[in-house]
Amino acid sequence: MSITIKLFSALREALGESEFELDLVGMEPAASELDVAAIKAALSKRGAAWRDALNQPNVVHALNHKVVFTDALVSEGDELAFFPPMTGG
Amino acid sequence: MSVALQAQAIDVATEYAHLVGDAPGAAVATFTGYVRDHTDQQAVTELALEHYPEMAQKVLDELGHAAAERFQLSQWRIVHRYGVLGVSETIVWVGAVADHRGEAISACEFMMDSLKTDAPFWKREQRLTGEQWVTSRDSDNARRARWQSVEVE
Repeated sequence: MSITIKLFSALREALGESEFELDLVGMEPAASELDVAAIKAALSKRGAAWRDALNQPNVVHALNHKVVFTDALVSEGDELAFFPPMTGG
Repeated sequence: MSVALQAQAIDVATEYAHLVGDAPGAAVATFTGYVRDHTDQQAVTELALEHYPEMAQKVLDELGHAAAERFQLSQWRIVHRYGVLGVSETIVWVGAVADHRGEAISACEFMMDSLKTDAPFWKREQRLTGEQWVTSRDSDNARRARWQSVEVE
């Protein structure tokens, strides 16, 4: 039971990872109530670099390719991406 | 009515011909963006564009359809590049076909203002002083917000 985490741009660079599977088993709260904030909290436990990078005020969260707030619920098989504000065009 | 994400240079003449040929209309507007050679008075020698392919495709597709509905377009096209780009190379191209010039021009502006802040691309500039990620600009956010305030009205 897992989700895919993707990181882009300066976040990818700062954390040295671009994509990985995150196991939801054993996470708090129960998997059925996990939201983006809970995933951020879990990833922040990986160390100061993760905590600092993911909790910058301008970090954007995209769940299954759509920008969401941190209260969006996450389910098995979802793709959750973190990245800085977009600078296309 | 389509989106292209591509590494190669944008063939503007071909894009224009396809845009008009597929659905001729009375008014055609296009915008072409090129890599500029400076940012904030600092020379830029190269631009690397990172993107999130699946999301970029989805966001730009939705953006084109939103523009078509809002401005009554008979045809639209969005082309965005990724990868390493040299100075003066094409980076983005949008085109819109409508019955009147106002709609066609506004549609291009709407698509450009929206994709700048909503499409998952990130620019990294190679400057004489080193590499640097481009940060989002308040002016871009303000231009994007303009369209939202019009929506509310």
